[in-house]
Amino acid sequence: METEATLTRHSRVDRQAVTDAVPLLIPAVPFGFVLGLAMTESDMPLWAAWLSSPLIFAGAAQLTMVTIAGTASLWAIISAVLVINSRHVMYSAALAPMFRTQPTWFRWVGPFMLIDQVFALAMLRSDREPDSFRRYYVTTMLLFGTTWNVAVPLGMVVGPVVPEAWRLDFAPVIMFAGLTLFAIKRVPAGIAALVGGFVSLLAAGLSDRLGILVGAICGVVAGAVAEQRITALKSRSEADL
Amino acid sequence: MSHRAALLVLVAATLGTYAFRAGLILLLADRSLPIVVERALQNVGPAVLAALTVNLAVGGDGGTSVDIDAIELASLAIAAIVGLRTKNLVFMLSAGMAALLVLTEIF
Repeated sequence: METEATLTRHSRVDRQAVTDAVPLLIPAVPFGFVLGLAMTESDMPLWAAWLSSPLIFAGAAQLTMVTIAGTASLWAIISAVLVINSRHVMYSAALAPMFRTQPTWFRWVGPFMLIDQVFALAMLRSDREPDSFRRYYVTTMLLFGTTWNVAVPLGMVVGPVVPEAWRLDFAPVIMFAGLTLFAIKRVPAGIAALVGGFVSLLAAGLSDRLGILVGAICGVVAGAVAEQRITALKSRSEADL
Repeated sequence: MSHRAALLVLVAATLGTYAFRAGLILLLADRSLPIVVERALQNVGPAVLAALTVNLAVGGDGGTSVDIDAIELASLAIAAIVGLRTKNLVFMLSAGMAALLVLTEIF
């Protein structure tokens, strides 16, 4: 039976997860609307387009899929989706240490909804105790899953009503910029972000959002090099003393 | 697109995406990594998020020109200042979006 202290801790974690997730949920709604609208105009059968939300659960990849369906070959569509989602391999690598202390069921279920926002929030709270981390992750996962799977069908109906003047298309940029800022806690992480962003800018001309992957890989390498240099400098100055 | 083709795309995309998301978590869950790798993984978050932010900002989906204007850049800068000062995503989003709407109205 759960003690009162445990319940209090759980409710604190839940509140934290909701507070952290709300700013990211807001931009997801118009994006879901846009996707829902695109689905209604797609050459893809509506049932398949709609099923991509609970199954693939990745906005950019889904939008690409329904947009190019009908004009690209099957393999081109599949490749485009997988290339766009290939950045998730790095999310998986980054979260692996946090999942090491988790039960088997969670290792299988948790990654199912490992989207950008869930990853960013999970990294933000990666220093939590394993059970609190799991609760936090599951709460954010359910929040995003529910919101997305309500927003997309709603978009099929009311997507065209959101005025373009609201510029909600720019909200995700601000949100991800904030998450990047808050994720920088050490100098190598700052260098990784700077290089990742800069290379991503240079690689913006690549199709299928491949620039994200290229930028991210360069950023990680730059961060690792910086880490090594800083460690070497530290040990040299310690040896000099 | 036929129903059969749509089903094939859906299944392949679902399985592939899940494999990307779960692969390393399942593979690395029962073993420790060298400390150097563990440290490098701490940089994955900032690197990916920065790359994602820039890509979203410039519309990096195969276009050849940078697609962010001065008003958007200024709004992003204002949002960043508010974010750094408050460490609060809601305030940061509100400031950035308000700046974008006001600046768009003025210019």
